[in-house]
Amino acid sequence: MALTTIILSIVALLLIYANIKITGRQYEGLKGGMKQMVYMLPIILAAFILSGMIEVVIPEEFVKEWLSKEAGLRGILLGSFGGMLLAMGPYAFFPIAASILTSGAGLGTIISIITGWCLLSLSKMPFETAFFGMRFFIRKTILSIPFSLAAGLIAHVLEVIFM
Amino acid sequence: MVKIKNSLIVILIITAILMLVVYITGGGELVIKGLNISMNTAIRTLPMLFVSFIVIGQIQVLLSKEVLDQWVQKFSGIKGIIVSAIAGGLFPGGPYVYYPFISSFVEKELPFYIFISFIFGKHVYDFTRIPMEASLVEPKIALIRNLITIPIPIIIGMLAKRFYDKNTMDISFIRAGGKNGSNDNNP
Repeated sequence: MALTTIILSIVALLLIYANIKITGRQYEGLKGGMKQMVYMLPIILAAFILSGMIEVVIPEEFVKEWLSKEAGLRGILLGSFGGMLLAMGPYAFFPIAASILTSGAGLGTIISIITGWCLLSLSKMPFETAFFGMRFFIRKTILSIPFSLAAGLIAHVLEVIFM
Repeated sequence: MVKIKNSLIVILIITAILMLVVYITGGGELVIKGLNISMNTAIRTLPMLFVSFIVIGQIQVLLSKEVLDQWVQKFSGIKGIIVSAIAGGLFPGGPYVYYPFISSFVEKELPFYIFISFIFGKHVYDFTRIPMEASLVEPKIALIRNLITIPIPIIIGMLAKRFYDKNTMDISFIRAGGKNGSNDNNP
């Protein structure tokens, strides 16, 4: 975790430097980022509480049978479907995904949850149907399903071989 | 702001229901255990979140809509697919900003495959989301997920090019889900 913070800090410094050299809008960026953090903090904190509750409430047997490495394809299918149903923004979604991972979910399951959320999340439906129509949304979703499953499957194979 | 308020209300309602479930199944002790986990997660991740938001803010001013718009219009073919997928990933802002932006492709008469690569690039790459993913889930998971899903927008863009090569961003074509569009030339 400390290493991630250090890496992110280096990235932040590089980006600030790039903005100083290219746009001169580094203060605007800092202000914008902090403003966003203040807006999002209540959601993030609520999501932390929610994820803590998920972690203690998921029964061990359920994790073992449906989400763990041993669950295999079942976990991948459930993960993609779960990702689709988690119709929320990243600030709420990621803590929940983290709690599922901590409960003992396999790599295939967690990757398919995140990919399913990226590609299939129902939170996109109001926008895509409004701008491009229901038919477009349905076709795009159907087209995305195999990709979400494939991502989970690749991760599962990697876990079986290397971990 | 309204959307954030609504999201917060939804999350709080779900949390309250789940807390009740935890209380019923394991009593107050289990609720406290859950809250302790939440607090530890918050303490562990808040410094990373702080830095993540600095990164997000800087990316958002570094790559303006105008810059990305130029990229998308400049390239075609496989180069266009890759560039628009990356531009989608770099595009700052949430759905209220990027859907209207993508809709503007109609006026520019950009190819359909550029549109589809951009939209999938935004969904899959979203570079401003990576710091969140790494700090809130786990850096290793974020890395594996991003590496595995890199080809998705490009494959989908290539499929769109293969089947709808000559189609531009005609709204009737998109709304029809790739059928009966005014400039539909499918085989």
